[in-house]
Amino acid sequence: MIPLALTFIIDLLALLGIFIIISLSLNIEFGYAGIPNFGKLLAVAGGAFFIGAVPGRVLAYIYGLLKKYDYIDNNVEVMYALGKILGTNPFMSMAMLVVSLILAAAVGAILGFIASYPAIRLREDYLAITLLAMAEILRTIGYNYKDLIGGTVGISVPDPFRWIGGELRLALAASVIMAVAIIIFIYVELLSRSPIGRTLRAMRDNEVVAEAYGKDIVKLRMKTLMIGSAIGAIGGALYAFLSGSVTALGYDRVVYTFWPWVMVVIGGAANNFGVLLGATLFVTLRKLIIFYKSNLQPFLPFDVVWLEYLLLGTALLIVLIYRPEGIIPEKPTHTLGKKRLEKIKELVEAKEV
Amino acid sequence: MIPPMIRDATIFSCLLALLSTGLTLTYMTTKVPNFAHGSFAAMTTYITLILVKILKVNPYFSVGLGFILGGVIALILYQVILKPLLDRGASYIVLMIATIGYDMILYSLINILADYLNRTYKISTRLYILKSYDFRVFHQPCIFIVAPVMAVLVIVSLYFLLTRTRFGIAMRAAIENPALAGVVGINVNLTYAASWFIAGGLAGVAGALLPLWLMCNPDIGGRLIVSVFAASIVGGLTNIYGAFLGGILIGMAEVLGTGYLSLTVGTWIAPYRPIIPLVIMAVTLLFAPTGLTGIGLRFLRRSGKR
Repeated sequence: MIPLALTFIIDLLALLGIFIIISLSLNIEFGYAGIPNFGKLLAVAGGAFFIGAVPGRVLAYIYGLLKKYDYIDNNVEVMYALGKILGTNPFMSMAMLVVSLILAAAVGAILGFIASYPAIRLREDYLAITLLAMAEILRTIGYNYKDLIGGTVGISVPDPFRWIGGELRLALAASVIMAVAIIIFIYVELLSRSPIGRTLRAMRDNEVVAEAYGKDIVKLRMKTLMIGSAIGAIGGALYAFLSGSVTALGYDRVVYTFWPWVMVVIGGAANNFGVLLGATLFVTLRKLIIFYKSNLQPFLPFDVVWLEYLLLGTALLIVLIYRPEGIIPEKPTHTLGKKRLEKIKELVEAKEV
Repeated sequence: MIPPMIRDATIFSCLLALLSTGLTLTYMTTKVPNFAHGSFAAMTTYITLILVKILKVNPYFSVGLGFILGGVIALILYQVILKPLLDRGASYIVLMIATIGYDMILYSLINILADYLNRTYKISTRLYILKSYDFRVFHQPCIFIVAPVMAVLVIVSLYFLLTRTRFGIAMRAAIENPALAGVVGINVNLTYAASWFIAGGLAGVAGALLPLWLMCNPDIGGRLIVSVFAASIVGGLTNIYGAFLGGILIGMAEVLGTGYLSLTVGTWIAPYRPIIPLVIMAVTLLFAPTGLTGIGLRFLRRSGKR
């Protein structure tokens, strides 16, 4: 038996990990590279839709289930059979998880490339509009094209965490998500300290100067969007595995574009710890609101969720106007260590002599 | 007898033209794409609902009220949020985020209003349509006459405002070069505020007329915004007449294109309607990023040389 408070925390951690991943990906795009990606939903939904559409089909094909059933129409039966198989086979479950995540990242990168292609050479506002529109289109396709992820009904996802059994499933899911989030955090932190991180900041601060120093702005932007979208897609894929199903309607602009923006802006753009703080604050606050929702509801003549949106929108605007750098502002770029600098100096001097 | 598809296309494209003209007007002044523009219209759809269902009066009263409400909402965005940011020299990316934040506030207010009306007056406030409350003039729905008349009226009066009045000329000067306009004594802030008011008003008018023909829902702003941006980008984003043309073009392409494809390919294609404006937008951005007016100018210049 896991106590209720602990379940609450585990649930919170799982969701937190997903939003940390998504907002870190936005931090690469917006914080470091200055690209206003208003289509974060595109990558997240792309990853989730991929998980809904592909891994289950492949497994069903491997185990010969597709001869008997139609994957979409008999989704329940297929999932029941797959659940039995995966439930007793931890190795297969985890292999599916890892392979799916890698492929989802690839799908995200491709989507990021396609979506940004028409406007990648233009000013950022055109890019923002295009990305936003592309995200809406992906949602429309997911909603209407029944063969992809079951259209309006949605689709179940093979559960990679089932084998551990019962109550521990959520704990395993949360730890896997947290582990991925930590890996991505380290990756983004290293990226921001690497030469490409500094190049991205240069591009953000002054495009013309960066171009004058021989940086290919278009290529850089495209790379950034592909990396960002790949990470975003991993977030979406993990969410699909966590919730066990994918419905196109569940992926909307508010949750997967607007919320990450709030987290990044309030926490502090171009500072990964700021983003971490923003995501933590935000997800905890939301969980608490949902937890206390029933106590609040009788006093309001409307659904509590709208009050939440109202507060978030207002908070975002207040931060933008009064503290545009966020709670934890950007730190100066890390330079090389003193010893390495001295070594380089020696090398240079040796050459000059 | 006018085919229903033509009627559909005319009404939709006229309303879209009103929206994209407004969006372009604000883009020209503040140089920021306003992501809350769709929600301006979504807000005023509820004025029509209130007038028709609760006050039981003529739905067309909402045109005037919608103009004022839309204008006020837009003015608040400019004066309270964008102006302080602009004064601080915020980048246009920050301004864009601010418009998205404002959009979220409007979206929640619309939903709160919808819930409130639904619970207090027991009327359906989601997925509602007021087609049956429209009048019939010459055996046609009144909106079929009002929407084109309104669109033409708006673009003609904007033309006269911008070219024939002192205020309009000041407005154009402030758009062209704010610093210089300020030097010669034009109140730049006032002209910008006026532009935002007009733009919001136009969105408000479009929103007020929407429920008389289309199914409305609190999220209609988000659904419209893709078409509106496509129309403005086709129009070049720097020219209100271009935006007007772009609105007509996108509206026609959306309705007629979907209609034609459903007849030839099959009705399953109808829900993919939003892809049409997106494709037109992508093609415009790839091959003629300055839009229709850019192509037009180039053509004129070339023929002028001969």
